[in-house]
Amino acid sequence: MPVQTTKNEKRPAREEGAASETVERTVVGWQGIRFTLPPDWNVTSFSMDRDSGYLKVDSPGSGTMSAQVRWSNAAKQEQTAPTLYYFLAPYFRRLLRRPAPALPKSDLKGNLERILKETGKQAKKSKAPFESSLKPEKVEGENGERTAINFTWSGGGRGQGKIWQCAVCNRIVVAQVVGLPKDLNAIGVIASQLFASMHDHAMEGYDLWALYDLVAEVPETFRLEAQKLLSGHLSLTFGRGAEKIVIQRWGLANMALKKFTLEEWFRKEAMVNVKRLARREIETAHGHRALVFEGALPLTSRIGVLRDARNSLRRFPTRYAGGIWECPETNKLFLIQALTNRRSEGLWAEVEPRCVCH
Amino acid sequence: MRLPLKTRLYYGIGRHLPFLNIRPPEVDRKSAMTLRPGRNAQLTWEKRESGETILTVPENPKAGRVTKLMARWLKVPNERHVELDEVGGYVWELCDGDHTVESIVQKTGRQYKMNRREAEVSVTMFLQMLHERNFIGFYKKVPKKSWQRNPEEEVKV
Repeated sequence: MPVQTTKNEKRPAREEGAASETVERTVVGWQGIRFTLPPDWNVTSFSMDRDSGYLKVDSPGSGTMSAQVRWSNAAKQEQTAPTLYYFLAPYFRRLLRRPAPALPKSDLKGNLERILKETGKQAKKSKAPFESSLKPEKVEGENGERTAINFTWSGGGRGQGKIWQCAVCNRIVVAQVVGLPKDLNAIGVIASQLFASMHDHAMEGYDLWALYDLVAEVPETFRLEAQKLLSGHLSLTFGRGAEKIVIQRWGLANMALKKFTLEEWFRKEAMVNVKRLARREIETAHGHRALVFEGALPLTSRIGVLRDARNSLRRFPTRYAGGIWECPETNKLFLIQALTNRRSEGLWAEVEPRCVCH
Repeated sequence: MRLPLKTRLYYGIGRHLPFLNIRPPEVDRKSAMTLRPGRNAQLTWEKRESGETILTVPENPKAGRVTKLMARWLKVPNERHVELDEVGGYVWELCDGDHTVESIVQKTGRQYKMNRREAEVSVTMFLQMLHERNFIGFYKKVPKKSWQRNPEEEVKV
């Protein structure tokens, strides 16, 4: 089912058709982590790595408060130097149809104490007394898949957070809301919103990628390869073997379309030469007229793809599909391009309804 | 708006003798957003029907005799024109000394349906660029002293 969440979306506060009261929120999605925060919070730093990384989202204005999320793969944390067994075991397991052995539980308390020690050191530099308190470990989640410890700290600033290990994705996630000592109440409110909405793995096989005004869901097998986050232009490139999905968004669409037509803009930005591809117009899931080019990749383009995909020839792309549309509601241009193998034909049509423009 | 000579000298000394640790006060984001950009009175501008705004920048009147002589010799024109696009023109019009940076960001964001952060980054960068070229200056609204207030303007409660 396509994603129903948008950045700064308005949703009914209590019941459908009840009062006109609405609640605004910011949806953030990155590397399989997804959560909601109050409106106008913005991602200020992130890492590109999926196995272990971080994400920082700052409050609007002077940004005295921030939500910080760190994650690491518990399986990789346990693993020491890779052996021949480590590489061959998954193949034999698949061959013999044996399930993967359950990973031992990580030392959450040890991890947390290490993090708090680092925070304490920083507080010591600012000559502020540091205090922290940990709550007992508990099991939570819809199916009891999380083992979590809540914590708070104060010293220089103030923070409220949670560390947990998810049994589904084997990730250890630390999420905390940090602010100034005067923000005590606000930290509590935002932390509860953050923890209630936090998901640490893909849902229904799709990862949510949401930052600034770009909200899209991409199959979880795709990994982020490149990003360009400029004011007015956002671009995310995902890869799976040699296959690629590129999602781009431009602001000030009305200005851009004064100088170029939608087709000219598309030709300028397309990954391949679209001269010999079939052109058609469709209506997007959000009711906009989109211009779509698709078809088998010409030989010259295949050579280009081969050059770009020298690291992996798995799922070598032979087909291209790309579509562009203008969203007048948000004054933005959206472009989705997919270079796919014949096996994954229809990927563009799969991603398009999951890219929320308004 | 130029700083008084005494202050300029003071910070000039600090710049050349860093061990004295004299630095101008840092402007934080909050106070920067309350500044009011105002246009350089020497510039003239016109708005075209296509939406672009053309700024006419005259020759620097403070240029020295040698500079003027060189300019004449190299046939440098007396004025130059700078073209601003529609959004740039919109921001330029708002630089009237009455609007704060914050209100310009808000208005531009609303007008062109930009995200708050996107609008803030674009507008502040643009204003910085205009300031570097001396097209605008930033003013700070100073609260009037009691003796400066007009008693008729004061609202009686």
